[in-house]
Amino acid sequence: MNAPVLSAHGVKKSYWLGKREISILKGIDLAVERGEMVALLGASGAGKSTLLHLLGLLDTPTSGEIRYDGLPVHNLKVGARAKLRHQHVGFVFQFYHLIPELSALQNVLLARMMQKSVVQYWKERKNTRAAAEQILEEVGLSQRLSHRPSELSGGERQRVAIARALLQNPRVVLADEPTGNLDSETADDVMQMLFRINKERQLAFLLVTHNEELAKKCHRVVRLRDGMVVS
Amino acid sequence: MYRLFLAARYLLSRPINLLGIGGVTLGVWALIVVVSIFSGFLRVVGEHVRSASADVSVWFLPDSARFAKLKTAIEEDPNVAGCSPRLVHFGLLNRPGEIPPPPPLLGRGALQGGDTPFVSVLGIDPDLERETTSLDSWLDAVHGELRVKDTQKPLARIDGLPAILLGEERMIGSGLRIGDRLALSTGRIERGPDGGRSLVQVTGDTVGGSKQDAPVFVIAGAFHTQHTGYDGNTAFVHVEDLRAMLSLPPDAVQEVSVKVKDAADTEATADRVERAVRRELGFDRGTFQRAPLAYSWRERHQGFFEGVEWQRALMKIILIVIMVVAAVLMFATLSMMVAEKTSDIGILCALGGSPRGVMTVFLSCGLSITAIGIVLGTVIGCVSAVYLEEFRQFVLWLSGVDLFPVKVYNLDRVPHELDPLWILQVAGVALLVGAVVSALPAFRAARHDPLVSLRGN
Repeated sequence: MNAPVLSAHGVKKSYWLGKREISILKGIDLAVERGEMVALLGASGAGKSTLLHLLGLLDTPTSGEIRYDGLPVHNLKVGARAKLRHQHVGFVFQFYHLIPELSALQNVLLARMMQKSVVQYWKERKNTRAAAEQILEEVGLSQRLSHRPSELSGGERQRVAIARALLQNPRVVLADEPTGNLDSETADDVMQMLFRINKERQLAFLLVTHNEELAKKCHRVVRLRDGMVVS
Repeated sequence: MYRLFLAARYLLSRPINLLGIGGVTLGVWALIVVVSIFSGFLRVVGEHVRSASADVSVWFLPDSARFAKLKTAIEEDPNVAGCSPRLVHFGLLNRPGEIPPPPPLLGRGALQGGDTPFVSVLGIDPDLERETTSLDSWLDAVHGELRVKDTQKPLARIDGLPAILLGEERMIGSGLRIGDRLALSTGRIERGPDGGRSLVQVTGDTVGGSKQDAPVFVIAGAFHTQHTGYDGNTAFVHVEDLRAMLSLPPDAVQEVSVKVKDAADTEATADRVERAVRRELGFDRGTFQRAPLAYSWRERHQGFFEGVEWQRALMKIILIVIMVVAAVLMFATLSMMVAEKTSDIGILCALGGSPRGVMTVFLSCGLSITAIGIVLGTVIGCVSAVYLEEFRQFVLWLSGVDLFPVKVYNLDRVPHELDPLWILQVAGVALLVGAVVSALPAFRAARHDPLVSLRGN
């Protein structure tokens, strides 16, 4: 039996505010299978983004386990977590987080540079560039390769961010309200694109959203309330 | 790969980084150029002083010292090529009957000389002197009407009067010519019948039937060393004439000039000569009299050299302040960069970057700024040190302002000496300072919580 590409088991997260402990997540159990598109719904403050960051190894849980392909990864050291994050997960954020000094193509290529030495990257530069150009073409930006983020629309920026997340062929994409900053028409376009990629690549998606309509289109909806999965 | 790539992009996209590069460049440039001028000045002035000095000088000889005995003792040393006697006296030189001018303002005498009538009168034996010092070249350096007529006998009596040699600049400045007469107003210590000492005015011979108040000398010509301070403050007379004038016994000597064979062994030779002279004159340990001392030419002018070296050291400290200012500037620009790039830190971590990697990005920026500044500062510093004279000439031609009045120091051009070790030290210090001020913002960037920037806009 294949293990889920991403799973959480009894994950808790709390912070200390002075002497007061604030529990954000109170024991989350969640699994995302290969090719599955899961929507994570919840009100503001429900702990959606915190869970996403924990699942993406950007933060460590107070207790509980996080597994990639069935292997526990939450206790790894900083360097190993960074490497695994690079190989296993792609991130898409609401505010794109593109680097303003770089062109669309360079922003995408940056994903490939992260774990390569100069020599390694130099040897593979032609293939890497071709792959980045192909992904940008896939998201409809083949004419915008050399444009800086400031020269792109919101929808185009998000497409660049998606292309960046896809370049490393991750096992799962964690998207934190990817359409939250876009108008409805552009948001629909972006979501259509994500569904298409999900179908074509059999890539798992965990989508944080407020949008019930959007969530219904996903394979499965997970609702969070007060730090707990309610359905 | 991303560390270098991002560092390069950040550097190229932020013109404010030029401030940091400019600051480091300025600091390195100033440290190289100014210290190069001081080092060159020390070298050239050292050569000038060297050219006007004997290799070793024996001082503080007692009244009983006689040259013949000392010569034998000194020349026993294997590194001694020869030696010559000197009498050292002082006096006011002016034309007979002329009232000496008032003393000049203080301050110029040490380097320039020649503007005070008060001179050091050295009694020399030209035949022996030319074996131990560069007397011949001092005389040959003078051209025209002030040149000594017979350089083989430069201090031969003229019209029955003792001859005197003056520095060329002094003669030109005072309008003196060969054959002019000069009176030397001076005194000497005389021992009375009771053993006491008293100062007695030295009077001259009878000239034209009248007794002169002061000894009269006839100018035989000029000499010219490269050390104008020496030329301006010194006059040469024959040792026999000075002995007679001061009523000293035959062969009396007050200073001995020594020439060495191996210049590299000068200091050690001076020590050996000093011991030999003391032994010859019977100075043992425990003697309370002032014992003779033998100095190498460098030791003799040690105070002067130390003064210039001290100024050079002080200048280094002052210029390092420029480096500190550049470092503060760089720290400010890098801190601003880190503050502006916190959102990038979040995404770098999300893409698989580690805190160490983030730190390397900003550290690379700081080190690149430092390295570029060092390279530019070193290249511009070396080039401008070499061509400083041309630059001085250009500014002089353009504005009439002389940035470095070389004539004051008897120099042909602005001196420079590029010391590779000093350049390496400057580069090393700049790199160290750059690394420290880069590390602080870089460390702050590495500690920045990526979630903070990923949560916000």
